[in-house]
Amino acid sequence: MPCIFPPTRASIRIQRNCFGSGPEKMLSQVILWISVVLESLLLFRGFRQRLTSRYPAFYCYIAFVLFQDPACYFVDRWMHPLYTQVYWTAEFLCVLLSCGIIFEIYRVGLAAYPGTARMARVVLGLVFGIALVKALISDPRLWMEAPATNVESTLRTVQGVAIVAMVALFLFYSIPLGKNLRGIVMGYGLFVCWSVICLTFASLTSGKVHVLLAYLYPASYLLFLSICLRYLWSYQADKSAKPADPANRGYGRVADATLRRLQDARGYLGKTVGS
Amino acid sequence: MIGVPTALLIGTILLLALLFLATRGSAVAGSLSAKSDVSLLEDAGELAPCPPEFVARIFDSADWRFVARANSPQLESLFRRERKLVALLWVQQTSAAIQHIMRQHKEASRQSDDLNFSTETKIILLYSQLLLICGLLSVAIQASGPQHVRGLAVYADTLSHRLAEVEQGFRIATTGRQLHNAGSS
Repeated sequence: MPCIFPPTRASIRIQRNCFGSGPEKMLSQVILWISVVLESLLLFRGFRQRLTSRYPAFYCYIAFVLFQDPACYFVDRWMHPLYTQVYWTAEFLCVLLSCGIIFEIYRVGLAAYPGTARMARVVLGLVFGIALVKALISDPRLWMEAPATNVESTLRTVQGVAIVAMVALFLFYSIPLGKNLRGIVMGYGLFVCWSVICLTFASLTSGKVHVLLAYLYPASYLLFLSICLRYLWSYQADKSAKPADPANRGYGRVADATLRRLQDARGYLGKTVGS
Repeated sequence: MIGVPTALLIGTILLLALLFLATRGSAVAGSLSAKSDVSLLEDAGELAPCPPEFVARIFDSADWRFVARANSPQLESLFRRERKLVALLWVQQTSAAIQHIMRQHKEASRQSDDLNFSTETKIILLYSQLLLICGLLSVAIQASGPQHVRGLAVYADTLSHRLAEVEQGFRIATTGRQLHNAGSS
């Protein structure tokens, strides 16, 4: 499997291969250790503020990456032949774990809104269903022979579409997001957005552009960690989220009234203009 | 595998959605949660903020004919300008009223655990269509004046009748389901 993109988020190997030693190598090391420090701090604050029990999938992901980055670094240093396999296996597990973050955004964000949660279930089901059908109807050899970056890029793209769908529902139904969840959505959303673009271009570029992407990709991860750290520094209860009101269960009645009123509006528009 | 245009499109949409969430999300949520005590099924008669006899004359050709008979280009120009402003204000008010209806619906439906996906989609489509008609009306009025938008009105009216039939079917289905639920409980 060709290793064509940063073997870790801190891009240890690609930069060493591209630049040799010197300041560039040091930069990649600095990015790696800053990531480790930020992840540790995020986990420390998470445990201290009891946020880990509220957002278990998110903190599992951070803990996994915290373990993955140094582990890959040491494998690269002392068990070099195994590096590519170890890296991509860990990266694949990491992407799978990150799907839990999407589920967590849905679970926490829509806990007080069963109506929107039902819409989200159908919309997310459609997104994942279409992705699955597309994967099944495509040639299986494509998946076996595709570079790992392409597989990761595809998975990140599906996550990106799922986040777009969720954000659209949050905005449409005016779902208030608490500070902590907002941080996760913003930070992780930006990271996925940048990952999709970087990973797609990575397999098409070479030379200096490729190297630039190799720096920008880990830099986006640092941005994700910084945003999360800012928003998840302390627990903030979401005061605007109210428990579901049992009086609002009659959806049929509400929908009927809305349809009638929209219908009236349409008739009113036509009648006035056509008068 | 994902192509470059698809990846760029998804990346851009995601970025825009996040920017929108960052800038407008909290403001909208805040304003909505402050208004959460409004009656969810109220009619309020908000669809006719202008007096009906006044609204009926906005697109009426009788006034145009009357002004044309005066044979004064200045009067005609003044009348055209004033009538355009009134028509635009009316479209704006109607659009605001439609958005108000939908805001109330969203507040009620987001907490309804028996929300129906297809009905909700139908309502969203109808809402989008109405907003689109308002937008088109606005553009048409600005471009050629209120006297030339009758074609759009006829189209809206045709759609209105077609949707009335769909709505009738929906009402029958909803009533049937409610009766069935009441019978089983």
